[in-house]
Amino acid sequence: MRSLRKIFSFILIGAVTTGIFVGCSSKDTEVQGNNTSSDKAIVIKHEMGETQLSAAPKKIITLEYSFVDALAALDIKPVGIADDNKKDILIKAIADKVGSYTSVGTRSQPNLEVISSLKPDLIIADLKRHKAIYEELNKIAPTIVLKSLESSYDENINAFKTISKAVNQEEKAEKRLTEHTELINKLKSEVAFDASKTVLPAVVREDGFNAHASSSFTGQLLEKIGLKNAIQQTNGAYAEMNLEQLVQLNPDVLLIMKSSEKTIIDQWQTNPLWKNLKAVKNNQVLMVDRNLWGRFRGVISAEEISKEAVKLIKENK
Amino acid sequence: MRFLQKEKSKDNLSFRLMIVVISLVVLFLGIAVSLYIGSRNISLQAVIKAIFIEDGSKDNLIIRTIRLPRVVMSICIGANLAVAGVLMQGITRNPLASPQVFGINSGASFLVVAATVIFPSVTNYSLVYFAFIGTALSGGLVYFMGSVGGMTPVKLALAGMAIHFLLSSFTQGMILINENSLDKIMHWMAGSVSGGTWDSVSVILPWTVLGLFIAFLLASSMTILDLGEEIAKGLGQKTELIRMIAGIVVIMLAGASVSVAGPIGFIGLIVPHIVKYFVGTDYRLRIPFCILFGSILLVCADVVSRFIAYPFESPVGIVTAAIGGPFFLYLAQRKRGTKE
Amino acid sequence: MMKKYSPAKWMIALSILVVVFSIISLSAGAVWITPKEIILSLLGSSEGGNKFILENYRIPRTILSILIGSGLAVSGAIFQGVLGNPLASPDVIGITKGAGLAAAIVLVLFPKAPVVTLPIAALAGAAIVAILIYLFSFRRGARPAVIALVGVALGAICNAAIQYLMVKNPIGINVALVWLSGSLWGKSMVEVLMLLPWVIVFLPIAFLISDKLDVLSLGDDVATSLGENVKVLRILLLILAVILTGSSVAISGTIGFVGLLAPHMARRIVGAKHKFLLPTSAMLGAILILVSDSIGKGLFVPIEIPTGIVTSVIGAPYFLYLLIKK
Repeated sequence: MRSLRKIFSFILIGAVTTGIFVGCSSKDTEVQGNNTSSDKAIVIKHEMGETQLSAAPKKIITLEYSFVDALAALDIKPVGIADDNKKDILIKAIADKVGSYTSVGTRSQPNLEVISSLKPDLIIADLKRHKAIYEELNKIAPTIVLKSLESSYDENINAFKTISKAVNQEEKAEKRLTEHTELINKLKSEVAFDASKTVLPAVVREDGFNAHASSSFTGQLLEKIGLKNAIQQTNGAYAEMNLEQLVQLNPDVLLIMKSSEKTIIDQWQTNPLWKNLKAVKNNQVLMVDRNLWGRFRGVISAEEISKEAVKLIKENK
Repeated sequence: MRFLQKEKSKDNLSFRLMIVVISLVVLFLGIAVSLYIGSRNISLQAVIKAIFIEDGSKDNLIIRTIRLPRVVMSICIGANLAVAGVLMQGITRNPLASPQVFGINSGASFLVVAATVIFPSVTNYSLVYFAFIGTALSGGLVYFMGSVGGMTPVKLALAGMAIHFLLSSFTQGMILINENSLDKIMHWMAGSVSGGTWDSVSVILPWTVLGLFIAFLLASSMTILDLGEEIAKGLGQKTELIRMIAGIVVIMLAGASVSVAGPIGFIGLIVPHIVKYFVGTDYRLRIPFCILFGSILLVCADVVSRFIAYPFESPVGIVTAAIGGPFFLYLAQRKRGTKE
Repeated sequence: MMKKYSPAKWMIALSILVVVFSIISLSAGAVWITPKEIILSLLGSSEGGNKFILENYRIPRTILSILIGSGLAVSGAIFQGVLGNPLASPDVIGITKGAGLAAAIVLVLFPKAPVVTLPIAALAGAAIVAILIYLFSFRRGARPAVIALVGVALGAICNAAIQYLMVKNPIGINVALVWLSGSLWGKSMVEVLMLLPWVIVFLPIAFLISDKLDVLSLGDDVATSLGENVKVLRILLLILAVILTGSSVAISGTIGFVGLLAPHMARRIVGAKHKFLLPTSAMLGAILILVSDSIGKGLFVPIEIPTGIVTSVIGAPYFLYLLIKK
């Protein structure tokens, strides 16, 4: 028994040391772009360091929808998109610009083999989802990592600018952003939303009501067109609510994203408290496109979301 | 031993009466707080008025249509789960038996999720039947797996965990392959009573009443069953029949609860033990006290859960886990005797 | 019990199967690479575009499948031997849940942490649960029943904690879910090198002390009378098992059912003698993961089904079948 224990501890220590040694030495290597620098080298600073591109990339793979949005806004077609294997997930405004592409699998686990078989020269990945495979992606092609999942409106615009730099279209991007800001301002004056009124975007499921607060992407975006969010908070972009709390908030407009056929709203509608909500009385319970509002971020998506919001609000006034 | 001495003092009627009174007080307090607290606190006066009269004011409506059904549902589910737990512990003679440890919760909720995916227009009333099937299947499976080569508490616990592990990996798989289904599935991972409406109460109430009623009828038989297989048979009891009926009651009570509120764990596990400590082993006492204590636990847990992410909702399962988890641990290592 | 052939013959047959399934695993994926091409590549000729995939994805994943499969399987066999219960496995005893909770905490609450913290956290999580199990059951003489139950209790608590995280962070949980489902997606030679030392060191140790498990199965009294310090032995063996599980889970996430299923299958073909049982379990575990991973990456291209899901889908019905057959 004694000898067993001795050998055991000895090997234990040995293995632990090996493990740590191996672990530390491998993952902390300096992140390097994998193209030799030349005069025309573009250096892109992104969330995980810097990547060099020797020329404007021609075959781009995007691993989140907001990146597809960004490229589409610059009239560039990616060759591969992580589309959760749903060919019709892209909203029309983007799908029209993008045309056909190869699916590289789900956003959470994009298929590395398919990606490499497309021989891309740029990969755009999401910080939260793909941090762990960043080095793998870099082996295939220069990769830039930006914020998409759970990103704010401003972060998205910044990502757009970074992408435009990577594809050498900075001027075009600036123009596009100016157009974008003009459109947003135009919509703001169109809807002329009273500053004392509030809106509340929310995802409704069968068993719950998940509101998007002022710090969420939708919340921020809508505030840019003058639609103040009913929940003003900075800690946490979402709020799970029940009918009571909704009654308390009493927003003027409800922007509902339905995540299933039957939702909790069906139940709430039978409640007299619901009927007394301002939004209900003024016919401002508006059903919006769940896919667009919930999944898409980016310049084009923001415009589409804003357009839909304004259209519905005006229609139902 | 001290245990026997405690038993003697508990036979004392006045002791038991005191427990009943205290519990009722606690229950009423819990209900009162639950009705008082919310997006805005409504005075007790208004609360009491609201219970009996409808006067159309906002506060009144809030109490009557939102908070009251939620409290009623908490009471029903708390009672159901506690009684289901005590019956399961009796059937299997396993102090750890409960809807959650046995994977019954996972089975029921998985099947309910599957039903809503396959039949998007299924009604709440029909969902209960899917929950029953899920409960029966997983419960039966665990029972079977755990009794291979002789049933022991350990085997049953392990089997339950295995089923739970399996079903949660299916569920996780669904979410990964179809990220959109995350919305649907969230609720079924941790139960909550926050969505309680009179509609859901009407779904669960019949099964609650029926199940608890049958449980009452079974009480004395369960007590005899507890004495041991040979003794029970020797006393002329049809042990298999009793087990089967009790099993059906468990399916009714646990299944109905999961179908309206999702899987809420730990109540069926710990309430029977607390009750046993106070009133001993007679099921004619245990079952009513489980109803009482179970309701109290869930009503109070619901109140606490509203403070976790104040002012917004959190699943009550988190609170029951926080209380029940350590208790479970205590139970696990307190195990007496080698029932191997 | 099918004991028509001697254990030795079975083990040889199984090792051949391991090779076969390895080749299949190397072939399967988004592109089917013919075995001929594989062998040529391995021998050094640079054959076209598939070499990149082969070297960077297929080979690491295949090696990982073997390492993880054998680690989990042997760990499961040890758990079953020590706890004297055929249903014991690291998944059910809460070890993997502990690792899962630690990983979920890192992914959800500390998203800015460097990637290398994840395996360390997972290992730490497994270790913490193991230590807690030890602390809670030691007083009872480390009796198997108590260990098992304490493990189940801790597993339930970890599970509730994971659910809590999921509910509070419904969006961020996507990333954690990938990990929790157990997958070899995105793993490369780096991960192989991280896991290799652990398996190479501790798997042989397990094989070497396999006869101790036989002694334990005779019962505490007999074992003690044979001169074994039962309490200490159990703890040492469990430490071994936790290391094997923890290191695998740290790399690939929580892949379930292998620790439960492989030893059962092994027992049916080579009997209960651990000298044969452990290596056989290892090989069966390796085959199980090789098959699951092949299916996961090759069936619905470009969708990758996490390996852990496939093992559960295959494993559960088969496990049931095994139980019935008993």
